[in-house]
Amino acid sequence: MSAPEVYNIAQVPITSHAFNANRSEVCVSLNSNEAQILGKQGSEWVAKETLSEHDKIITSIDWAPNSNRIVTASQDRNAYVWSQAPDPLTGQMIWKPTLVLLRINRAATYVRWSPNEDKFAVASGARAIAICSFDPESDWWVSKQLKKPIRSTVLSVDWHPNNVLLAAGSADMKARVFSAYIKDVDKKPQASVWGEKLPFNTVCGEYSSSSGGWVHAVGFSPSGDVLAFASHDSSITIVYPGAPAVITIKSMTLPYTTLVWTSEDSLVAAGHDCQPILFQGSETTGWKAVGSLDDTTAPKSSGGGRQSAVGRLNSAAFNTFRNADTRGQTSLPGMPGAGSGGESELMTVHQNTISTIRAHAGAPSQVTKVSTSGADGNLVIWTTNAVSGLVGRMSGLRM
Amino acid sequence: METSFRKIDIDAYDEDVIQEEELYDADPRDPAQVLNDTKQKTSAVRGYLSKGDTAGALTMILTDPPYGPNVEQAKETNLSTLLTILGSTKSSEVSSVVKGLSQDAQDTLMKYLYKGMATSARSDANTSVLLSWHEKLTEVAGIGCIVRVMTDRRLV
Repeated sequence: MSAPEVYNIAQVPITSHAFNANRSEVCVSLNSNEAQILGKQGSEWVAKETLSEHDKIITSIDWAPNSNRIVTASQDRNAYVWSQAPDPLTGQMIWKPTLVLLRINRAATYVRWSPNEDKFAVASGARAIAICSFDPESDWWVSKQLKKPIRSTVLSVDWHPNNVLLAAGSADMKARVFSAYIKDVDKKPQASVWGEKLPFNTVCGEYSSSSGGWVHAVGFSPSGDVLAFASHDSSITIVYPGAPAVITIKSMTLPYTTLVWTSEDSLVAAGHDCQPILFQGSETTGWKAVGSLDDTTAPKSSGGGRQSAVGRLNSAAFNTFRNADTRGQTSLPGMPGAGSGGESELMTVHQNTISTIRAHAGAPSQVTKVSTSGADGNLVIWTTNAVSGLVGRMSGLRM
Repeated sequence: METSFRKIDIDAYDEDVIQEEELYDADPRDPAQVLNDTKQKTSAVRGYLSKGDTAGALTMILTDPPYGPNVEQAKETNLSTLLTILGSTKSSEVSSVVKGLSQDAQDTLMKYLYKGMATSARSDANTSVLLSWHEKLTEVAGIGCIVRVMTDRRLV
């Protein structure tokens, strides 16, 4: 089992990350209104260029692999498409922004390029998803909005491989599948399990999270025939629209906030539990958690390990107060040199919530590596076949 | 909900405000039937308890619990029946009983434990009993179970 590659990018949260096509550069936003392009030098990622045009925190970034364009979405209600062009003075290639007319009155929360890279979808707090396509006459991106029947903030979107269907997860506890067909851009889509006639804003499916949690993440399987979503009730739901069959896996841990399919019968989800978990299954056999990509049996740096108790009850904060009570120690968790080091450290590679997981290597139907970034400022690349068994608190998991 | 900090009700100016009842699927049964079902379950539970079958009694009471508006009396009956079961279970049996429940039943049980603790002014809610059940249930069902209690709007 190969160890994950861990890069500490910053001491602040990474809100989003996106690699370029050959994985030599990564675009990250460090919880600010600027995005940075980092290039790999040796075993370090160094800043090459800063994309600054937004006024408020950037919420999501996506890098189109073939057309080499970056799109950023921000809380300032704007999105920009960045493309490389030579600087008129020096002749160097620099990233230039193009405005997108989103017409939303709340923050943009999430953005993804369509598979053909001729459209992108921007989710927003305005109960709408803006489907953007390029208008060459005016030289900007125009949008058309998916509104009904969304009742709250849209938190994530994912494109179907046919470039027309779009899945959206929303804070109204529902995951939906829409048609985002744009007449001038798309050819008429072929009929699929999701439906035959697909004019813009057709709702092809609407699925509730089992115990009423916000839907944090949605994802189509590589074929596009299966939908998975993770919600804030610590569950993952897999939808087979043909049957229709809905399989819900209730987890024993904290909720997942992000997921990616690694093959037609497996996906990796991660979130507040700070470790990526591999799920496998099919329509007939059901789904279950197979194991963690993270080996959580040992602390990640030197320092005393902690007893694994129920969930996180035996956490750093708990230990701090217990030590203050029983031993008179007043060290604060997370302070360098405080206490015995390992006390405030989690057994996982990520030391805080994982906010983004993406496919890193391999074809969509056979992803061999995934990359994660999170609130601890770490960027980690995992191999998907390196699964360690679920120990302790996961062992009692029943389907 | 504490709303005194709000000077203006901004929702009144929003034509398209999301309503409480849109947040979860309503119980298909009508309130009178829910009350009837609950009463029947209560008598069935007495039968189980007299045979000493705690697991059966718990499974019965945790299936289709009353939730949502207009079923206050049924909710009250269900809670007090459940508290009777919890109070009459030997502490050595709690672990095995909890393990025997389905995952949905575990989530529902956790809802009732929190409700019981929130209404501890009642004479039949013994907080130490509730806390020991909470500890055993968390060991079996994990913190995911607690998260689901917090997110679920189908309040029991």
